[in-house]
Amino acid sequence: MNITINGKSLNVEDGLTIMEVASRHNIKIPSLCHLKNVHQYGSCRICVVEVEGMKNLQASCIVKAREGMNIKTNSAKVRQSRKVLYELMLSDHSKDCLSCNRNQSCELQALGYTLGVGESRFSGERSSCSMDISPSITRDTSKCILCRRCVTACNDIQEVGAINAQNRGFETVISPSMELPLNSTACAMCGQCTVVCPTGALQETDGLTPVWKALADPTKRTVIQVAPAVRAALGEEFGMETGTLVTGKMASAFHELGFDDIFDTDFAADLTIIEEGTELLGRLDKALKGGEAVLPMITSCSPGWIKHIEHAFPGELDHLSSCKSPHTMMGAVVKSFYAEKVNQKPEDMFVVSVMPCTAKKYEIQRPEMGVDGHPDVDAVLTTRELARMIKQAGIDFDSLPEGNFDKPLGLSTGAADIFGVTGGVMEAALRTVYELVTGRELPFDGLHVTPIMGLDQVKTATLKIEGTLPEFSHLEGVEVKIAVTSGLAGSDILMKEIADGSSPYHFIEVMGCPSGCINGGGQPRSTCEDYKIKRAAALYREDEGKPLRKSHENPALQQLYKEFLGEANGHLAHHLLHTHYVERGLYNERVK
Amino acid sequence: MDKLVKNIACLDEIKASYIKSQKGWEKEILVCGGAGCVSSNCAEIREALTDSLEKHNLSDSVHVMVTGCMGTCAAGPVILVNPGEIFYTELTPGKIEEIVEKHLVNDQIIEAYTFYDTAKGKRIPRLSQISFFEDQVRIALRNCGQMEYSSIEAYIARDGYYAIAKALTSMSQSDVVETMKDSGLRGRGGAGFPLGVKWQAGLNAKSEQKYMVCNADEGDPGAFMDRSLLEGDPHGIIEGMMLGGYAIGANKGYVYVRAEYPIAIERLSKAIDQARKLGILGENIFESGFSFDLEIRIGAGAFVCGEETSLLSSIEGHRGEPRQKPPFPFESGLFEKPTIINNVETLANVAPIVLHGADWYRQFGTEKSAGTKVFALAGDIVNTGIIEVPMGIPLGDIIYKIGGGISGGKKFKAIQSGGPSGGCLTKAHLNTPVDYESLAALGAIMGSGGLVVMNEDTCMVDTARYFMDFIRDESCGKCLPCRVGTKRMLEILERITEGSGQVGDIERLEELAETLKQTAMCGLGQTAPNPVLSTIKYFRDEYETHIYDKHCVAGVCAELQTSPCRNACPANVYVPGYLSLVAAGRINEAYQLIRQENPFPAVCGRVCTHPCESHCRRSQVDEAVAICDIKRFIGDYALRDKYNIPLVESRPSTGKRVAIIGAGPSGLSCAYYLAHLGHEVNVYESEKVAGGVLYWGIPEFRLPKKELAKEVFAIEASGVNIHLGVRIGDTIKFEDLQKDNDAVYVAVGTQKSRLMEIPGEELDGVESGLAFLRRVGLDVDRSVPEKLVVVGGGSTAMDVARTALRLGSKKITVIYRRTENQMPASREEVEDAMAEGIEIMTLVSALKVLGKEGHVCAIECTRRELTDFGRDGRKKSEAISGSQFVIECDGVIAAINQDVDTEFSANAGKPVIDKFTAKTSNEGVFAGGDASPWGTNIVIGAIADGKRAASSIDKYLGGSGELNKGEEIEIPVIEDVEVTEAHDRFKTRRLKVEQCQDNFDEVELGFHKLDAMAESLRCLHCDRR
Repeated sequence: MNITINGKSLNVEDGLTIMEVASRHNIKIPSLCHLKNVHQYGSCRICVVEVEGMKNLQASCIVKAREGMNIKTNSAKVRQSRKVLYELMLSDHSKDCLSCNRNQSCELQALGYTLGVGESRFSGERSSCSMDISPSITRDTSKCILCRRCVTACNDIQEVGAINAQNRGFETVISPSMELPLNSTACAMCGQCTVVCPTGALQETDGLTPVWKALADPTKRTVIQVAPAVRAALGEEFGMETGTLVTGKMASAFHELGFDDIFDTDFAADLTIIEEGTELLGRLDKALKGGEAVLPMITSCSPGWIKHIEHAFPGELDHLSSCKSPHTMMGAVVKSFYAEKVNQKPEDMFVVSVMPCTAKKYEIQRPEMGVDGHPDVDAVLTTRELARMIKQAGIDFDSLPEGNFDKPLGLSTGAADIFGVTGGVMEAALRTVYELVTGRELPFDGLHVTPIMGLDQVKTATLKIEGTLPEFSHLEGVEVKIAVTSGLAGSDILMKEIADGSSPYHFIEVMGCPSGCINGGGQPRSTCEDYKIKRAAALYREDEGKPLRKSHENPALQQLYKEFLGEANGHLAHHLLHTHYVERGLYNERVK
Repeated sequence: MDKLVKNIACLDEIKASYIKSQKGWEKEILVCGGAGCVSSNCAEIREALTDSLEKHNLSDSVHVMVTGCMGTCAAGPVILVNPGEIFYTELTPGKIEEIVEKHLVNDQIIEAYTFYDTAKGKRIPRLSQISFFEDQVRIALRNCGQMEYSSIEAYIARDGYYAIAKALTSMSQSDVVETMKDSGLRGRGGAGFPLGVKWQAGLNAKSEQKYMVCNADEGDPGAFMDRSLLEGDPHGIIEGMMLGGYAIGANKGYVYVRAEYPIAIERLSKAIDQARKLGILGENIFESGFSFDLEIRIGAGAFVCGEETSLLSSIEGHRGEPRQKPPFPFESGLFEKPTIINNVETLANVAPIVLHGADWYRQFGTEKSAGTKVFALAGDIVNTGIIEVPMGIPLGDIIYKIGGGISGGKKFKAIQSGGPSGGCLTKAHLNTPVDYESLAALGAIMGSGGLVVMNEDTCMVDTARYFMDFIRDESCGKCLPCRVGTKRMLEILERITEGSGQVGDIERLEELAETLKQTAMCGLGQTAPNPVLSTIKYFRDEYETHIYDKHCVAGVCAELQTSPCRNACPANVYVPGYLSLVAAGRINEAYQLIRQENPFPAVCGRVCTHPCESHCRRSQVDEAVAICDIKRFIGDYALRDKYNIPLVESRPSTGKRVAIIGAGPSGLSCAYYLAHLGHEVNVYESEKVAGGVLYWGIPEFRLPKKELAKEVFAIEASGVNIHLGVRIGDTIKFEDLQKDNDAVYVAVGTQKSRLMEIPGEELDGVESGLAFLRRVGLDVDRSVPEKLVVVGGGSTAMDVARTALRLGSKKITVIYRRTENQMPASREEVEDAMAEGIEIMTLVSALKVLGKEGHVCAIECTRRELTDFGRDGRKKSEAISGSQFVIECDGVIAAINQDVDTEFSANAGKPVIDKFTAKTSNEGVFAGGDASPWGTNIVIGAIADGKRAASSIDKYLGGSGELNKGEEIEIPVIEDVEVTEAHDRFKTRRLKVEQCQDNFDEVELGFHKLDAMAESLRCLHCDRR
C-alpha cells in the first residue's frame, strides 16, 4: 500500500505499525515505552505523530499504517507535544542521574538528549515512592516511568504475574498486589523485568559491595567462577558486537581484579551432567524394572524455575532432579575438596559466582544451598555487575590479553558451554548418557541434537536406544521421550501435562528465562534485534572449538571423582551436590 | 410456572388482563420511587398512604403504585393522584393524611400541597399544566413515573415487548438497522454517533459470536439519567438490548452498571428474571429462532470504565484501562468478538422507534439531532431533577421555564454540560439550541446529559479545579499525559485558587490542555481539559483576578478572603473589623479602620451600592447586617463637628512628583495614598470644586455637600495639592504635565452620557441625565420642566426624577423598558421615588420625541413584553406592535447611561489600560476610574481603582507598592452568643415624604448610636477562623 511520511511517498507492506514503516525507511521516531517484539503498549505517547485527517496525534508504536495515510513525524505540533510529555515525565522523576546505576545507559536520559529538552517547566508533587530490596531484585519506584514493560515481561512473557499496576491515575505504582515486597510474593526472581526496564527503577540487588569487601580482606581466599552464558554477552557492555566471545579477556579481568582462584562454572556443568545423567539412568532403570520412579525427571539448574515450581506446582516437586545448580555444586566442591587441597577452612573461602541470572542471588540464600552450615556460594554478580566492577577497577577490558582459568576447577568440555542456551543441558546430558549406555557417540551431526536446538518455546524429540552395552541391556529399544522449554510460560505448559498425568516424557529441560541463560535476567540489556540468536551461536562456537566436548571426558572431573567424590550419586556426592525443594505459598512462605 | 409468551397474541392476553384489573379501581395513586424520592423517604409516605387508606376504608377502591422517577427530584417525595393528574409535592405523612381525607374522601384538591411553579409564580395542581412538564416530550422516559416499574405486565400493557415481537415476526435484521438509520437516533452517551451506522457495522461483522453491551457506567458528577431509566423502566432497556441483539446477530448481552447504583441493579435483575420466566429472554424467542440472554456486570465505580474499551477490559476481568482503537469494538470487542456498545438512554429510545417508525421519531428534534434528550438538572436551579426535551430547545428555556430559574433569587452565571468532559456555557448562550452541533461549536458538548447550573456565587476557577480534581482522581494511570498532566493541571488550578497563582499559569494550563487533547490515549484524557479551556475562554478575567489580584470575585476560594463582605467590597474594607469596633464603642477607630482602605467613609456610608451586604451570611439567618448604615453612622459620629480624626503620618519625601487629572473619587483616593507614601501629589480639576461626580452627580438630598467637603479636606490635609479650574489640554498641555512629573494618573471620569438615538432628540428640552444633574449640582441652571419624562431605570434616573421633583416639576414619569425587578437602581431608591409621587412605567420604551416649535411637547412610547434571553442572561424585552402611546411633556431626560448592555462596554474609544496595574501603553501614565474600559459607575469601584493605581505608581517610582495605611488598629473580639437569635435589621431614621417635597434636606438620617451598636452585634463574624 502507499503512504506518505514527511512528504515522501512510500510503498510499504501491509500490517505494519507507523513506527515500523518509518524505521524501515530510516526515519527514526523517538519512543520510550515501546520495546520491539516485547511491549507494544502506547502508554508514554512520546512516539506520537501527526496523521492528516485524524483529530488527535497518533501513537506510532501501536497504530497501524493504513492505505493513503499522510504522516508527519517531526512537525512543530509533534515536537511541542513530545517536549511537554517529556517535561511531564521529568516532573515526576527523581532525576538523581549522577548517582544512578543507569547513568548513561538510561533510555529516559537518552530520550531527553534526543528531544533536546532541558529542565521541566512543570513541577509539583511527586508520586509516592518506595524502595523494595529483595535478595535478587531492587525496585526503586521513584525512577519508575510506568511504561509497564516489566508488567508485560512478568505477566505476558513469563506469565508469573507477580507485579502489575496498582491504584490509579497519579497514584499508580507498579508493584505486587497490596504493595507487598517482592520477596513476599510468588515472584520467581527471574529478573526479566530488570532487563526490560528503561530506567533505574528495576535492577539487580547489589552484589558488588560484599565482593569488593572480601577482595580487600586478607583473611579471605576469594574464588570466582563464571557461568557459560556470561562469556557470550559480557563484551556487549564494552561496546563489542553482539555474539563476541570474551572468555579469555574475562579470565584476565578476574586476575586483574585480584581474585585468588579463577574457576569456571563450566566445570560444574560437566559435574552436573554426571550426577544428573546418573540420576536419570537410575530412575529409568527403576521404572523399567517395575519399581516406583518419578518420571519425567526435570532439570534443576535454573533457580528461577525452581522457585516458580515451588509456588505453582508444589505437588510435582519429586519430578525435579535433586542436583543442585552447577554454581552451587562448584561452591560445595570449592569449600570441601579444593579448600582441603589449599589448606583452607571452608569459612575462609569466599566464593563469587558471575551469573547471567538474578535468581541465583536468591538461590544462594536458601538454607538448602549449603553444606554443614556454610553457604555454597557467598555472592552472586550479574553479567551487568561484573562489567561495572571491571569499569570501577579501571581495567581496559578491550586491551586485556586472552587469559586462562585456573586448574583444576577451571577445566571444562564443550558440553558445559551450551548449558547457557535452551536445549543445551539436554544435549550435553544426551552426549554423555547415550555414550554411557551404548558405548557409542551420540548419532547426531556435530553432536548437536537438532530437534531441540533453536529458540522455540517448547521443543520435543524421541531418541531410540539401540545397541546397548550389556550392563544397560534393559534399555535396549527404549524410546526416550524428551522435551525442552525455556521461559516460565513454557514450563507451565509442560507442568500442566505432568499435573494431569498426561505427560509422555522421560526427561525435561527447563530454563526459567525465555531462550535460556543467554537471555537471563542478569544479562546486558540489548538493543540488537537478534541478540538471542547471536549469543546462542557464540556458545555453540565455544563448544565446537573445544577439544573435549562431552562432560564425562573432562579429566579434572574424572580426577575429582577418583580422588574425592567416589561414585556419581554416591554418599558424598549426595551430601555435597544434591538438595531438596519446598512448597511455597502465595507470600513466599514455606508451607512444608 | 408462568405461561410462556410465544407470540403477539400472548402479549395481547397479558395486556388485556392487566388493563382489566386496573379498571376495578376508582382512583389510582402513583408514588414516585425514583432515587431522589427514595432519599427523601418516599417509603414513609407509602406506608402512611396505605395506613390512611385503610383507616378510611379506601383500600379496595384506591390503587397505590410505586413508579420510577417522575422528574421533580427537588420536590420529593411526590405523588400523582388519578383521575385528574393532581400532583402533590414535598409530602410528609401528615400531609398524606390530609390528602386522603380531603381529596380522596371528599374530592377536594388541596392546592397548598401541589407543585409551586416558579415560572408561572403560583401553585399548579395539574401535572400537564406545570411549566416543568409542559415542554417535555417523553420518549425514553415514557414509562418512568407512569407505571409500576416492578411489573412486567404493566410494561406489556403499555405496549412493552411489542417492538421486539414486531421485529422478530415481521422485520429482517437489516430492516431494524435501516429503521434506526432513518430515525436519525444518535448515541446518547455523549459522542452522538449515529446508532444505525453502528448497528450496521455490527451486522456486517463476520463472527459466530457477537455481543451487545449496555454502558450503564454513568459517572458524570450531577448526572443521573441512566440511573433513572434503569430504575424506572428496566424492561425498556431489556427490550432495547434485545432489538440490538437481533439487529446485529448477538445472542448475549451484558449490562455494565456501576456498583453505586444498587437500586438500579436490583430492579434490573428482577426485570431480567421476569423476562426469562415468560420466555421473552432465552432460547427461540417468539418462536423466531432468535435467542438472547442478558447478564449484569457490576463495575467498581471507576469513571474510566464508561470509556468503551476500558469497559470491555473490565467485563473481561482485567484492569479497567483503555485499548488502542482501531480495532473498534465492532471489529474486535469483548473477548475479541464483534461487540456493539450502547448507552442506556440510546437503548431506551429503540423500542418506540421500531414500534412507531422512523418518521414518527423524526418529528421531534432537529434535522441533524433527531428526537429528544434526557437531562439531569442539577446545581443552583429551582427544579432539580430529570427532564426529557426535544433536541433544539433553547438552553434558556431549560433553565428558566422547565428548571424554574436560579434558586435563591441569585443570578445565573454558567451551565456545565457534559460533565468533566464538557464545558461551561454562559448567559450569552441562553438562546443556543440544545443539539450536538450547536453545543460543540461553543466548546461544550452534549455529553450524556448532566446539566449543572451555577449561580453568581460560583467561582469558575474553582469549578475548573473541581472537575480537574475529579479527572485526576479517575484517570486510570495508563498513559503519561493523563496520569501526570491532569495532576499538574490540578496543581496549577489549586495554587491559583489558593492565591499562589503565578504569571504564566493560564498559558501553562493552555499548553498542558493542548498536549492532553492531542496525546492522551482515550476520551477521558483527551476531553479532560475541556472544563478548564471553556472556563478560560469565557471567564479569563476571573483567572486573571485570582492570579494578579489574589481575589476571588465569587468569594469561593477560602484562602483569598477573610469574610464574604470584605471580599465583595471592591476596596477590600475590613467590614467585620469596624463592626467589632462599633460594637465596642470605639467609633473613631472604626472610622480610621475604614479609612485605611477607603478615604471616603462618610460619603460611602451614604452612596455606596454596598455589594458587601448582598454577600452577608447573616442573610441566611434573617437579614443582612446593615453594613452601609453602620458606616454612615461611623462617618456621622466621627465627623459630627468637623474632620477631627488624626491623620495618617506621611512617609519622608521621596522627591517624586505625581500629577493626577480629575478630583473625583478615583483621583482623590489615588492622591491620598500616594501622599502618605511621601510623593508630591498635584491634582488638577477642571471644575471650580473638588469631588467630581460626588459633588455634582449625586443630589444633596442623598449626599450633602458639606459632608463631602469634610473628607476632601482630610485629603488635602494629607498633603495633596488640588488645583481647581485647571483643564489639562487647555491651561496645561498634557505633554508638559508628563515632563514635569514622574508619573501621571488619569481619572477623568465619565463626561458624556448617551442619548437614546431616537428621532426628536435634538429638540429643546431633551437632555441627558448627567448633564441635568451637572447643571443643577454646579448651580449653573436649576430650571426644570413642568411635565417631565425620565427615560431609564438606574440610580441616575431616580436622582434626576427626585431632583426635578424638588425643583418644582409637577408631573414626573419614569419609563423603563424592562420590568421593575430588573431595574439597576436599588430597591430603596425606587421605593423612595414612588413614595414621593413619581410615576414609574415599566416595559415601556421611547420611540420618538415629539416637538412643537422646536421644543419638546410629548414623547411617543411603546409597550414591551419579555421575550427570550439576552446575552446578559436577562430576558430581553421586545416592543409590542400597535401598543404605541404618547405621554405629553415639556421635558425629556435620558438617564440611560447606567443601563448599558454589556456589549457596549467593550473597548471602543476607551484607552488601553492594564486592569491589574492601571498602566497604559504610554510610559509613566496610569489610568482608572469610570473612564477605564471596566468603569463600573460605582463610587467604591472608582476608589478601589485609585488605590490600586497608587500602589502601582509607587512601584513604578521605585517603592514597594505597599500602601501606608497608618498604624495598625487592634480589633476587639466581640463575644459570640452561643445561639444566634433571629432579629431583623434595626431601622434608621429618615424624613417623612411630606418633609422632603420642596427641599434638598438629606432624606436618610442614619442610626441612633445605640441602634448602630446593636446592629453591629448582628455580625456573625465569618472572618474568624
